Order: sequence, then structure tokens, then C-alpha cells
Amino acid sequence: MLLSLSWLREFTPYKGSIDELAHRLTMVGLEVEEIVRPFAHLAPMVVGRVVEKKQHPGADKLSLCRVDAGTGENLSIVCGAPNVNTGQNVAVALEGTELPGGQVIKKTRIRGETSQGMICSEAELELGQDSSQIMVLDDALVPGTGLCTALDLEEFVLDIGVTPNRPDCLSVMGLAREVAALFDLPLHKPDLNLQEDRTRRCQDEVQIVIDDPAGCPLYQARIISGCSIKPSPGWMRYRLMSVGVRPINNIVDITNYIMLEQGQPLHAFDRDLLQGDTIRVDRSRPGLMFTTLDEQERELNDRDLLIWDREKPVALAGVMGGANTEINDHSTEVVLECAVFNPLNIRQTARRLGLHSESSFRFERGVDQVNSPFALDRAAQLMSELGLGRVFQGVSREDPRPCKPVRISFRRERANSLLALDVDQEYCGRVLTSLGCEVGEEGGAMQVTVPSYRPDITREVDLIEEIGRIYGLDKTPEHLPKVQKSLHEKTLDNEYRFLEDIKQWARGLGLQEVINYSFVGMAELDLLEVPLEGRVKVFNPLSEEQDVMRTHLLPGLLNTLKHNLGQGNTRLKLFEAARSFEQDSSSETGGRENNRLALLLYGRRYRGHWPHPEDDADFYDLKGLVENLLGSFGGFEGRFVLHKKHPYLDPAVECLCLEKSLGMLGRVAPDKARSYKARKDIWYCDLDLDLLQSLGSLSRPQFQQLPRFPVVKRDMTIVSPLELGYEQLHQVLQDAGVDILEDISLVDVYLPPEKQEKKLTLRLTYRHQERTLKDSEVDKEQQKLADLLLKKLPVGFA
Amino acid sequence: MSSVQEINTSLKSLIQEFKHVLDQASSLHDLEEARVAFLGRKGRLARIMSRLPELAPEERPQAGKTANEVKTDLGRLLEIRKEELEKQLASHGDKAFDPTLPGRTPDFGSVHPVTRVIRDISNIFVGLGFEIVTGPEVETDFYNFEALNLPPGHPARDMQDTLYISETLVLRTHTSPLQIRTMEKRRPPLAAIAPGKVYRRDSDLTHTPMFHQIEGFLVDTHVSMADLRGTLTAFAQRIFDSEVKVRFRPSFFPFTEPSAEVDISCVMCQGRGRNVDGTTCRVCKETGWVEVLGCGMIDPEVFLQVGYDPEEYTGFAFGLGVERVAMLKYGINDLRMFFENDIKFLNQFA
Ligand SMILES: [Zn+2]
Repeated sequence: MLLSLSWLREFTPYKGSIDELAHRLTMVGLEVEEIVRPFAHLAPMVVGRVVEKKQHPGADKLSLCRVDAGTGENLSIVCGAPNVNTGQNVAVALEGTELPGGQVIKKTRIRGETSQGMICSEAELELGQDSSQIMVLDDALVPGTGLCTALDLEEFVLDIGVTPNRPDCLSVMGLAREVAALFDLPLHKPDLNLQEDRTRRCQDEVQIVIDDPAGCPLYQARIISGCSIKPSPGWMRYRLMSVGVRPINNIVDITNYIMLEQGQPLHAFDRDLLQGDTIRVDRSRPGLMFTTLDEQERELNDRDLLIWDREKPVALAGVMGGANTEINDHSTEVVLECAVFNPLNIRQTARRLGLHSESSFRFERGVDQVNSPFALDRAAQLMSELGLGRVFQGVSREDPRPCKPVRISFRRERANSLLALDVDQEYCGRVLTSLGCEVGEEGGAMQVTVPSYRPDITREVDLIEEIGRIYGLDKTPEHLPKVQKSLHEKTLDNEYRFLEDIKQWARGLGLQEVINYSFVGMAELDLLEVPLEGRVKVFNPLSEEQDVMRTHLLPGLLNTLKHNLGQGNTRLKLFEAARSFEQDSSSETGGRENNRLALLLYGRRYRGHWPHPEDDADFYDLKGLVENLLGSFGGFEGRFVLHKKHPYLDPAVECLCLEKSLGMLGRVAPDKARSYKARKDIWYCDLDLDLLQSLGSLSRPQFQQLPRFPVVKRDMTIVSPLELGYEQLHQVLQDAGVDILEDISLVDVYLPPEKQEKKLTLRLTYRHQERTLKDSEVDKEQQKLADLLLKKLPVGFA
Repeated sequence: MSSVQEINTSLKSLIQEFKHVLDQASSLHDLEEARVAFLGRKGRLARIMSRLPELAPEERPQAGKTANEVKTDLGRLLEIRKEELEKQLASHGDKAFDPTLPGRTPDFGSVHPVTRVIRDISNIFVGLGFEIVTGPEVETDFYNFEALNLPPGHPARDMQDTLYISETLVLRTHTSPLQIRTMEKRRPPLAAIAPGKVYRRDSDLTHTPMFHQIEGFLVDTHVSMADLRGTLTAFAQRIFDSEVKVRFRPSFFPFTEPSAEVDISCVMCQGRGRNVDGTTCRVCKETGWVEVLGCGMIDPEVFLQVGYDPEEYTGFAFGLGVERVAMLKYGINDLRMFFENDIKFLNQFA
């Protein structure tokens, strides 16, 4: 809401500074977002008097003027306007000033004659459309006077962010009421002195029928006859411009003026274009096509409210008038509508059609029904005063749902306890009265009647807020609360803590956390060939790139990779802990949200060069991280199973923990990787954190006696076919039933250049819990294990 | 047959030889070799001692005693030389040793600045006795709007442009639904914060369609505005700077009454509105204040939704944008950086 300071002062005599006003309004919840100087660009312009006008000797269409602009000597100015004349007061841009369009006035020679400034048109000053002639000012003005002063242009406008609960502050009058209360100033309502033409009665000419009283609790109309449509007087045009409203013509300008001043939207119909003498308020029919003022044809449904004449719809109620009855240059008789519509109704229509007007904005929030007749009379009076036409006597009015005042009982103690204040009854009464409430007493309790312009106040707590607001929330006391909690209650923060631990774990291992949007593009999931079923789509996405919730974290990480490669970052060790989303009709929220951990390795294994080899990270770096994760969050050893086929990983290895699938790890298939500009292998895994958390919560540390006797270690080098997995060797040894075998570890893998077989060196660790082992018994067990391997697997010994 | 003389001579020359070898030794490694050669299990002393049984029984005790004394002497010589050598090495050092070469530094990991700020904020509130709660990101219209006193058609729904999944499901526009979900599960006293991702249909220089929020609330008997103000003032001074000024401006949220927005004195220009060089501060747009959170006393309507008696219980709630706090705290000037994940950006938050 843009508030003009001079307009405000018409209703309350605020004399303080603009900054003080802005501060106080901000601190009562009417946040001043900006102090605007709407005509600052005209500050250097002055009034000049044309003391002499001669024909330019070198050009037929130019005049040579001598102008007194209060500078001490008459200026010579060349002017091309047809209407310039001796004795006129005109708007002069002096040498060195800048016009709103950016042009800087310089002393020049035009066809041989000196010009020391410029006589301006309305268009050049951006005060109107007319560029065909210069602006002629009031004769009484003294040359040299600033143009802004001469035209009484507004100096300050406050841009106020009005919260949706305060429709009353969407008008100058409402804001004046607030300012008067804040600074303890009187409030003047504009005087009403309407001269009616008693020869014609409005009620005889137009009847109102409301077929949807819930949608329209009040409808009123007046008739103004004998109008001539022309531009409004300057003061009105400039005032409208100062608050960002474009002047149109005298009728439309007055409707806008009253809307801004009183908060009551009005609409004017050309009566000649209305058929019959009934105005009807009723719902639309489904599929009805209607052309609004902006020349757009719109399809309506049966929830939209329309204003009808005998034959046709003539306005989309509260939102926008129809093109068919619009005020035009030939209009002479006006039907002026002043109504109140149901906020929900207007909001639905405006939103569905994407048609948001100043009018719908106010109706959606609530227009003061009690003030409505006053606003209509004030508009009619302005029309009559400005000589637009004759106002017929009376008002055609239907009010099927009169406004009922809201009465609330108010407890001062409650206010004091909620706000931590100690204010007395008298203070509360004074504050509420200053805001327009009527305060009475009933059985010792304070009874408050709320003014009709405050639909936000319906309960005691709303009154308490008003007390706090005016007292100043910033002045109320403060202390730290005593937080009471029962230790018997189970705490609720397990998920957060677990994720926090995971992030710290990953950070400690040198991984960097990334956060990507939860939504990606369908095409990106398609590219990864993940299933189409189960995807949670966004109904109204901002773009195709964000139209579906991630079923897999990979697209986000690949985008991060691509962005980083573009920035020249070629070594990445990333992680993301975030949710995947999948449809699940059994869930209250229609889906399953699963915390996942994604790890991504790309490029060199080590950061610096020396003393490390320059190898790239590989599968075993990734697997090592996963093994570390399992060990750290539950002491698990995973099982890793190669899969033949996977939508986007090749190779793809499944990680099993206690025989439950935790997720997949592997290399992003090169064709997919290339789409994201990757030139090297991308090692990636995506694991189920919720599962890991629940498995981990089952495992508790269990103390075991520390061993007291020494170990004996023996190596064993096995020659095996390439396709034989290490795990199989491991399994055979582990299942052999050798009690004293404590540990099996892999010391070396040797792949000979011809690559037909591989050599694995294992180190077996033996220990007896109760005594020191003899070499001979270890030799025996070692031989037993070797024999078993030969028997069960196609292996030999080196 | 060995004689005592022979053995004594061997032992004496052993001492002389050992001294010589020790003098030659220039590293701890050389010393260790010398130790093994002379004092080891199969070393020279052991070999001499293995000859003791060849002596006549009456000569053995004396010879054994001498041998043990020699063993002690050798040990002492070794220790002395070792100390000497260690000192030498420490003072002169190995010429090739260059402590300025880079170490085998493991990679620096990092958590995202958003995670970092959430952790900092959570720690403050956990210290005050708050719990941390989490909930779904796809939320029902009921929890996201209706239960928070935002019925269908409420103009305040326009304050948050919503991304919908269906008619009844939304991507949560705030973490406030956790207020309702937690109150439904439990009875007061309750104090919790709810950090998490939230979504709005908005994308420009100052908005991203996903961002992070922390909602906090406290419900008990006799909770007042003073508790809210005390909590948030302490919080702001802890998270930003103990000198920071805090102001409460009345505002409007459908789920709190009274409602307020909280501004802090601008952390960039210390509330002066102008930078040190006299230019206008762009962070606070010259006002000296920046908005950091919204708050208020929980609206009785919300309590009714979860079956609490608003006459018995009162409470406060607040919500803040994590990225906004991170921007102010770390001086980040472009919101989009948070989700581009350039590692040169992430590195700064190791
Ligand atoms: Zn600043």
C-alpha cells in the first residue's frame, strides 16, 4: 500500500517527520518498506513566464521566447509548441537539468538562435500523455517557483507492507485512523455535502436483485447523469500518479480515488449500454465466455459471481468490469456500483483466472460494509463537485446480510499474563477505544465491541494482540523460560542425531557434503533408466527440470559433478544425506520418504602429488568407505554381491548387511556419465540410512575378555582362477571349524601379466585362549586348511 | 677345554671391540646392529658364555660372575652411546630430512554451511532443553495449512507460494507442521525445534524453490511473551554476536497471536546503515536492521486442533530461514551458491 503523506494529512494533522512516522508504523506492524519521493525527478524544474514571443527567423514552426525563470535575467529559449504565448506561465527546464527521460538540457544554438533551456510538455515531464503542446500553468504563480511546489506535488510516499489480516489499512482513511491513535491526534472524516437532483429518483430508475446473498451481502448503486468524459483536474491526476495509479478519465479516476481513500472498490457502468432497469447479482453458468475490460475473453464456471443486466453479464463481480458496458468517451450517464462481495468467492475467481486487481485484492481481504454507503456518497459528491454531472436522488440498495457487530469479553489479567505486562483496566480501555472499539462493562467484565473495519478481531486474544501492539512488543519484559521436561518420555530426536553422526563421519573421512534440490526432471530419471512407477510428481513445478521428487539421489550428484567439472574442479569426494521419495498409497502422505546416503568419488585418489602415486580412485576406495560405514555404525561386516544387470551402475555391487540389502555401489555406466561431461570413472553408492540406523540400534557392544596368550601367524599363497572370488576362499577357511584360527587377512594379490590365474597371499592368525600354541599343532591345522581348499575349490599352492 | 684365562681375555677384548664398534656407529640403526652382534641371543657374549660349562666346576661361579659384569658393562656402554648419538642426531640431524615437505595429510572433509548453521542453532536450543524433531517433507494440506489456522481460501495462503503434489498433498512450505505432529503425539510441557527442508514455488535472485527452516516451539502452562523474547534475544546474541541488538516488530502469522518479526542490528554495518567507507549498506538497505525470524504466541485455534485447552496451556513458536542466517553469519552474498555445491565454496566450511 502506497500512502501519500499529504493525503494522510487531510484526515489527521500529523506534523512530525517522515522518518518518525515510518518508524512508528513499522513498530506497530505496518512495516514501511521504503520511503518514496515520487516526483524527485522534477525537483530542478521551475515556473517561467513567457515575456516575449517572436517568430524564429530561421524556422516557420519555431518560436523564439524570452522567459523570466526567476534567475535574474530573461532567458532566450527556442520553443516548437504551437500553443506557446506571451504572458503564459510555463514549466522550464534550465540549463544543466536532467529531464525524466534522461536528456540533459544544454545551452545550444537552434538554427542560429541561442536556446538556454527548454519549455516542457506534460509528456516530457512524465506528468501526462500530451506531447503536442507545452504545459500551461496558473497565471498567479511567481516565476522561479519550483514546479513541485507550484503543482503541489507530493513529496513523500510510504510503501507499507500491509499484512493480510489488516484490510482496513489498505486505505488512506484506515492508515489515518492508525496514525491518529498512535500519535494521539484527532481524526477528521471528509465532510459529506452531496447535492442531489431531486427531480429524478435513483430507485425509480434502477432496481437491485441479489440472487446469491452469501456471495453479495450488500449492493448499492447511484446514477450520475449528464456527464462529459475528460481528464481529471491536475491535483487528482498528480495524487493518483504519486501512488502509482495511472489516470484514465474523470469517472474512472474518481472510482480509483475513493477506493484508495476509503478502501471501497467502486465500478462505473455506462448506463446507455445497460439493458433494462434491473441489476442482478448472480452466479455464472458453467462455460460462459465473458470479455473483461482488458479485452480478454475468459471462461467462467458456476462459482464465479457476475453482475447482470436484463440480458447479459456486465461485470465479473469485485474483480473486473466487462468490456460491454465500459465507460468511454461518449458516455453521458453513469451507474455507479458500490458493493461488498464474499472474500472467498472473489479470491477463488481471481486466482483461477490469474486476474488480480486492486479491487479483488481488497475484496479478498474484506471490505468494510458499514462504511460502504459513505464511500458511495463521497464518490457521488466528488463527481458532482467536479462538475461531471447531476446525481439522482437516493440510492438503489439491497443488503440481505447486514453486518453484525462483534462483541468480545476481555480480561485484563489474561492480557497481562500472556504479554508479561502489568497494565490497568483504564490503559486497556484507552488503547482499544483509540482503535475504534466501544468499551463497556457487564458484570464486572470488560465488554468490547469491535468496529466493522477490523474483521481480524474476533477473539479475546486478538484484543490482547492490539494491547501488545500499541504498548510496543519491543518494550515488554524478557527472560529465559524454565523448560520443563519429563525424563520418562522417550526423546524424539533420533533421526536428526543419526544423520548428524553420519555427516560427521563422512566429514572425518575427507568427504564433502553437498545439498541438492529434492526434485529433478523426469528426463534425468529416464536417462538413468530407473523405473517409471512410484515416482512422486510435482503438480505445479516451476520447470521441467524440477517436476519430480528424487527416487534416486544420483541425478542431483551428477549435476553437482557437472557443475564442478565446469568450474575446473576435477577431483571430487562428495556425499549427500537426503531423502528419496516413492509413492506409497498406504502412507498418510501418499509416499515413502527414505533417508539415503550417497557417496561419489571422481578423479585422483590423493589430494597432493608427492609422496602419493597419481592413481585415480577405484572401486576399492568406495568399498572401503562403505565397510568403514558399516563398521562404524553397528560393527557390521557387509557382504558384497556382484549383479549382472543394473539400470545405471556397471559394475554394480549390492551391499548386504545382516542379509538385508543396504544399497548398491559401483561405477556409473560410462554412457550415462558422459551425459554429465565426466571423462573418468564415477564411483558411486546409494545406501539406505534408515535401514542402517535400525540395524545399528539392535547391536550393542558386548564386552569380551582380552586374549592373554600370543598369536602364531602363518602365510599361505594360493593360485586360483581369475573368476574365483576372494570371499569364497575366505568362506571355506572360516567354515572349516578350526577353533584356533582367529583371523584371516589378505596380504597380497598378484595378477601375472598373462592374466590366466591370480596369486593370493593370505595370512592366517592362530591363537589358543588358554595356552601358548606349539609350532607343531599350528603346522597341523595349517595343513588341514590347505587340504580343505584343494578339495573344495579349483585352486593350487605356489 | 677352555681356561678361565682364555675366557677372561675374550671378555676383556669384547669390551674393547664393543667400544670401537660403538664409536663407529653413526645411526641408531648401527647401534641396533651392534647390540644384536654383541648382546643378541646368538651374539658374541652369548657364544662366550656358552663355553662356561667347559670350565672346572670350582671355576664356574667366578667366571660366571665376571661374564655377567661384562654384560652389564656392555649394556651401559650401549646406553651411553645411544644417548650421545640421539643428542647428536637431534642437534645436527639428517641432512636430507626436510620438515617443510608436505605431510601425508588426509583429505579435509566438510559439512555444508546449511548443516553447520543447523548444528550451531540446534546446539543452542538443546542447551536450553529443547528436543529436535523431524517429519515428512511431502505433507498433507491439513498439517501444512489447516491445522495451523490456514483454512482453504485464507488470503494468508498467498504468503507462501505452494508446490503441490496433489489436491491434498503439498511439499511442506514450512517446518511448522511439526508443531502439530509433535503436539498430537505428546502432552505439554513440550519444547522442541524442527529443522529441515521446505519448499516454495519461487525462484529468483533471493529465492530458491528449496531451502531450510528451523521451527521452534515451547508449550506449557503460563508461557508468556517474555519467555519468547528472552529465548530469541539470547539465541540471536549467541548465534551472531553478543553485542547484537534485537527488536520485535508486530506482524501477522495465522498460527500465532500476537505475532512478531524479529530484526537484528545489521551484522555487516553494525546497524549504522553505512559501510566503513561511507557507501550504503546493501545487506540492510540502509535501515540498520535485518529481519531474521518470525515468531509469536501460539494461536488458541492451533491448540484446539490438537485438543489442548487454550485456557490451560500457552506457548510460543518461531521459524527462521537457515540460509538467511548462514548468509549473515558468513557474509555469503549469493543464495544460489548453496545449491550449486562448488567445492571451492564447500571447502570454506571445512
Ligand atoms: Zn547494514
